[in-house]
Amino acid sequence: MPEQILSIPVSADQAQPVRGRVVRSKWLYHVMTFLMVFGPGLIVMEADNDAGAVSTYVQAGAQYGTRLLWVLLLLLPVTYFIQEMVVRLGIVTGKEHAIMIYQRFGRWWGLFSLVDLQLVNFLTLVTEFAAISLALSHMNIEPRVGVPLAAVALVIMVLTGSYRRWERITVFLCLLDLAWIFIALKLRPPFAEIFYNTAIPGIPEGGVTSSLTFLVIAIVGTTIAPWQLFFQQSCIADKRLRFADLKWARLDTLLGATFTIVVAACMMIAGNAARAHGISFSDPAQMASDLRLVAGATIRGGILLLMINAAVLGTTAISLSSAWAYGEVRGWSHSLEMPVRQAPGFYLTYVVCVGLAAAIVLIPRAPLQLIILGVQVLAGIMLPSAIIFLQLLLNDKEVLGEKFVNKPWNNWVNWTIIIVLFILSLILAAQVAAPRLFPAS
Amino acid sequence: MKMLDVLRPATVSHVPQDHFLVVHPLDDVPEEKIEIATLGRMQMTTSVKLALMTLRGYLVLMILLVFYDVLELARFWGPRAH
Repeated sequence: MPEQILSIPVSADQAQPVRGRVVRSKWLYHVMTFLMVFGPGLIVMEADNDAGAVSTYVQAGAQYGTRLLWVLLLLLPVTYFIQEMVVRLGIVTGKEHAIMIYQRFGRWWGLFSLVDLQLVNFLTLVTEFAAISLALSHMNIEPRVGVPLAAVALVIMVLTGSYRRWERITVFLCLLDLAWIFIALKLRPPFAEIFYNTAIPGIPEGGVTSSLTFLVIAIVGTTIAPWQLFFQQSCIADKRLRFADLKWARLDTLLGATFTIVVAACMMIAGNAARAHGISFSDPAQMASDLRLVAGATIRGGILLLMINAAVLGTTAISLSSAWAYGEVRGWSHSLEMPVRQAPGFYLTYVVCVGLAAAIVLIPRAPLQLIILGVQVLAGIMLPSAIIFLQLLLNDKEVLGEKFVNKPWNNWVNWTIIIVLFILSLILAAQVAAPRLFPAS
Repeated sequence: MKMLDVLRPATVSHVPQDHFLVVHPLDDVPEEKIEIATLGRMQMTTSVKLALMTLRGYLVLMILLVFYDVLELARFWGPRAH
């Protein structure tokens, strides 16, 4: 007797045919099931290594070398724990996150979360296109041509009426980020120092300064972002993941988190290499151009292309999280599996988000680095509220039942994370309100 | 290429004994999930009330700080002393 056929669409009498694969080996069955479930976890994590993240991580490397690598290691379980809750919620309810807040906490909180999400998402999208524009100009490509082309490509990506096609393209783009590992290795990283600073938490020389606090909060803000909660739950709902897929979705999320942290560390190592060569820069594109003198044109081109890739990944995920959330709250049809004529509002929201952000970047000359860091900080401030709703929903026995509701240890871990995030946000707030409390350098 | 064929779904109407059927979630029969709309609002237990109250306080504080910083940037109280 085969151990288990997922959800048994081929009924006992096997009268109804179904699309699938019959395999003989149990091992192959597990591998294939994982591959079919695989996607949302990797995408949500790697898309978070967006343009803002590239900027923040290389800046951390440039300012403090490898001394802040331990922060990334600490953030690995944090990101996993948060997204694992999203996975459970998504699989059990099959609903988007925004509508759950509406239905369980009422209209006010629902509207608050939705407006927050749309605001931070849109500002972030502007930074994604600003990064594309910046990288293109360093590649001698006119942004007025390149940015609209990128926007069109991003729109085409989702208009195919196939979730699977979008997911495959996006997973491919995520895997391109493996090139960061190659770049980090090519820059001759100080391995002993890296391992030491990853394993042993320490404060960089100069002590706790205003810029260090700001950067640590920016790192936290960029590694865990509010849109991720909405995005992964929507992805899971759109992909119609089943109860039996939970363990594979968790594995997907864990692999995604690990991959993302490794890539983030490589970005920090690239910033450290620039620091070691006395290169000072205001953005990653400039760093890439200056690194050419010491590391060659391949590294320069690679970093610039990866910057664009990061922005493209961030844009598709963030715009989709906006479109899914808005579509569900408005009661529109909202699925990548639907053709445009069946879900016009959903696709229009996506197109407006992408188009407007691209257009804004082409009009003014905004101070990119400041906007990027500002968005990360804003997201860091808004994150505690998003996570509180998540935590309350995960304790909602009416929705999740005894089986999927948070266990006491989950709650201990999650409340600790929430308290730390609140403290970081309050430190940031104090820094803004009373800067003299913090030494400047 | 032949190896990749195993990942391509085909129409299956019979699963032999000792074999396994792998179905992509999108090709599977949709599962019945809990209907949240019928549940209404969440029960306001003490811990939920406390969490939402803390959140309100946090948000009010943040709004006040942003407002303060805007006034500061506008030099409402004169030039910033550093």
